[in-house]
Amino acid sequence: MSMRIAIENLHFTYPSGVVALRNVTLAIEAGEQLAIIGQNGSGKTTLIKQLNGLLRPSQGTVRIGDWLTTEHSVAKMAARVGYVFQNPDDQLFKGTVRDEVRFGPGNLGFPAEKIELLVQQALTLLELTDKADVNPYDLTATWRKRVAMAAVLAMDTPIVIFDEPTTGQDYQSVQRLAQIFQTLHEQGKTVIAISHDIDFVAENFSRIVVMGQGQVLLDGPAQTVFAQAEVLNSTDVEPPQLTRLGQRLAIGPVVYTVENFLAALRKENDMQGER
Amino acid sequence: MAIIAIQNLTYHYPQTTQPALQDLSFQVEEGEFVAVIGANGAGKSTLCYALTGFAPHFFRGEMSGQVLVAGLDTRHTPLEELMLVAGLVFQNPGNQISGAKFTVYEEIAFGLENLGVPPAEMRPRIDRIMALTGITDFANRSPYALSGGQQQRVALASILVMEPKLLVLDEPTSQLDPIGSREVFETIRAMSKQGMTVIMAEHKLEWVATFADRVIALANGEIILNGPPAEVLTSPLLIEHHIGQTRYTTVAKQAQAEQLWPPERALPVVIDEAEAGFRAYKK
Amino acid sequence: MPDNLSLYIERDSPLQRLNPLTKLAISFSLILIGFLGPGYWLATLLFICVLVPLSIWGKIGPEFLQRTVRLILPLALFLFVMQSLFYPGGRTVLWRFWIFSVKLEGVQFAYLTATRLMNMVGAFLLLLLSTHPSTLMTDLTRRGVSPSLTYILVSTLQIIPQMRNKANTIIDAQRSRGLETQGSVRARIGALLPLVGPLVFGSLVDVEERAIALEARAFKAKRVKTSLIHVPDSVRQRQVRIGLVVLTLVMIGIRLWPL
Ligand SMILES: Nc1ncnc2c1ncn2[C@@H]1O[C@H](COP(=O)(O)OP(=O)(O)OP(=O)(O)O)[C@@H](O)[C@H]1O
Ligand SMILES: Nc1ncnc2c1ncn2[C@@H]1O[C@H](COP(=O)(O)OP(=O)(O)OP(=O)(O)O)[C@@H](O)[C@H]1O
Ligand SMILES: [Mg+2]
Ligand SMILES: [Mg+2]
Repeated sequence: MSMRIAIENLHFTYPSGVVALRNVTLAIEAGEQLAIIGQNGSGKTTLIKQLNGLLRPSQGTVRIGDWLTTEHSVAKMAARVGYVFQNPDDQLFKGTVRDEVRFGPGNLGFPAEKIELLVQQALTLLELTDKADVNPYDLTATWRKRVAMAAVLAMDTPIVIFDEPTTGQDYQSVQRLAQIFQTLHEQGKTVIAISHDIDFVAENFSRIVVMGQGQVLLDGPAQTVFAQAEVLNSTDVEPPQLTRLGQRLAIGPVVYTVENFLAALRKENDMQGER
Repeated sequence: MAIIAIQNLTYHYPQTTQPALQDLSFQVEEGEFVAVIGANGAGKSTLCYALTGFAPHFFRGEMSGQVLVAGLDTRHTPLEELMLVAGLVFQNPGNQISGAKFTVYEEIAFGLENLGVPPAEMRPRIDRIMALTGITDFANRSPYALSGGQQQRVALASILVMEPKLLVLDEPTSQLDPIGSREVFETIRAMSKQGMTVIMAEHKLEWVATFADRVIALANGEIILNGPPAEVLTSPLLIEHHIGQTRYTTVAKQAQAEQLWPPERALPVVIDEAEAGFRAYKK
Repeated sequence: MPDNLSLYIERDSPLQRLNPLTKLAISFSLILIGFLGPGYWLATLLFICVLVPLSIWGKIGPEFLQRTVRLILPLALFLFVMQSLFYPGGRTVLWRFWIFSVKLEGVQFAYLTATRLMNMVGAFLLLLLSTHPSTLMTDLTRRGVSPSLTYILVSTLQIIPQMRNKANTIIDAQRSRGLETQGSVRARIGALLPLVGPLVFGSLVDVEERAIALEARAFKAKRVKTSLIHVPDSVRQRQVRIGLVVLTLVMIGIRLWPL
């Protein structure tokens, strides 16, 4: 079963009358690494809450593989889509970190040994092993965020969604996160992340969706997306640090990582040497 | 005159053996904008609490040394009196909503009501802050029916509007969009120019470098660096202590090794310096 | 994310505009009279002849009725079954099957209790649906009630929507991780149990966070508070409130010292 995500003509209005999504159409193939960026309130969280059915379309459809989100319960969808909430406090409710992490896989009907293995792996991956017996609420917010991620990773779902995973995380944790995303990618999973950390997005995602006012404004790889400074500006996004620097220096095409910045710089230098 | 004077501050949370802050001493002048950086668990939030009296008054625990804020000894001044001079924006925006008010506008007015500001004076102050923080459009919404970033803006506005002499901010832009983050830094910078003293814990080094007067780096509850941004943010200690550096610094350092950055030139921390350095060498 | 923390319905109506203290007085006198006043039909009359018209005056009639019924119906059914069958000392048997017999006294008692409860729930709902809690808080504070006390009062009034929001948040977290909360009755009950612990614990955490949030906003500052909104009051309303207090006392008096 291919876990393709197909969103078609999706509209969504909150009961209070706020229109949060306007005609979003998006297809995400299994195994893609996709980042969603855009202004506060542009509808990013609202969009991904549609993917596991927590919110349902006012109009249009959302399909995960062969399932329409309207035809399956959120609990069923959870076997396909793992979702790490933006605010860990909205997600955590168990008395210990271990119980919290075990909750998801425990519901998915895996054999006991597999559950223990998954829990152990997730705890190790996020360096939570020595905190396994602590109450999540005795941890700082930054750690709770990690617990929330471990709790979803342990479910071993083909699609994993992270809502602002880098918030409050330090340099080392962000690097570890990048590794985790890479590992998930190598396992063939679809990774979707919302982030305001544009440098992180540029360095770790092959496809970037830019949202503004409930719509998809841009969709493509970093080179093409970050070339559109004006559209980005309209949704309060600035290109990555190195893209901006590259543009000021007028070196080569759109650069966005340390490597391709230096490559462009070398090339530029060689050309000057030849002259 | 120093508005903050900290002497040998050590602080333990209740029932902990490791101190969260260890023997800190520093001063901050009135109108200064000081950024506090550090890895997770370094003690940034705890320092924010200590500067506003939440540690030890609210979190209890054991404190030694002295913290003077606008001449008040935090340990011997009740929290409610400290709140008249110091404002704190907490790290987590979700739990800063008072629960006493039902629209964003009223939520922002709440602090002013408690300070006894006359109603006629409130509206212009609220309107101005809402415009500065970009929340004018949701004035009449429930503060709960907002996106994460919008909620963080409300939390910030609610304290800014109270115009404290000392403003302490704990990662106030963590959920803001990129331009929103920069605008918050600009707003805070402008306020400090007008005399407000600002202490801000942050991970966004580019904006720290661009806007702060001074940077204090913490590691394991101790101050490891304290100085101007250009100096602190290029220190090799930052990598060692998992704080990281701006992409400008990273890229210039690597370029230096390949003779693509002037060898005698200081490493850049902001885009202007990076541009100037690379340009200087292109010729 | 919770939408709203109060039951308040925003409508432009004279009831909505009444001073909150007046509405508080109406509610409490209705509740007291309903419980302690004389007469078998009193609570029913109060509900039909006072509460319902008031709710229509406030343009919240349908919501008022719907919510009252939803809250009171299960309770009333339970009362009728229990009391009609098991009311002690009931003699007048209305209907009998197998070992059970339904007694008139039981039915009457159940009716009385149910209508009194309905009157009480209705009076509370009328207040909550038509009064913005922050107006109530502002008004009470202005009258010299301690801010902490009014805050507690208002938070208590919010407890139902707050619990509901908290519960929804936790349910969303649970179903997102595969816990079936829809479908069969069994699944629903199964989903309810894991909710209790986090709900209680989560509320405790919330209380602490609230305390911090209030401190940071100088809630405890020893200053004379001001208020953004002006809550109107009038001499007429004051007279009405005094009238209601007198009426309540009289009604209770009639019941206690029957002529
Ligand atoms: N529970 C809610 N009720 C009503 N409106 C809401 C609710 N949650 C969000 N909104 C509104 O819907 C719109 C989209 O919100 P959403 O949370 O999807 O934004 P976002 O892109 O995730 O923003 P952020 O970057 O700040 O997290 C916003 O205008 C927001 O105010
Ligand atoms: N309420 C608390 N009780 C006990 N220990 C605490 C408490 N809050 C923080 N700590 C501990 O104190 C140390 C400093 O934490 P603090 O939250 O100040 O770090 P921080 O620099 O703000 O980190 P972050 O980047 O994660 O926000 C950590 O070891 C943390 O675990
Ligand atoms: Mg969001
Ligand atoms: Mg912190």
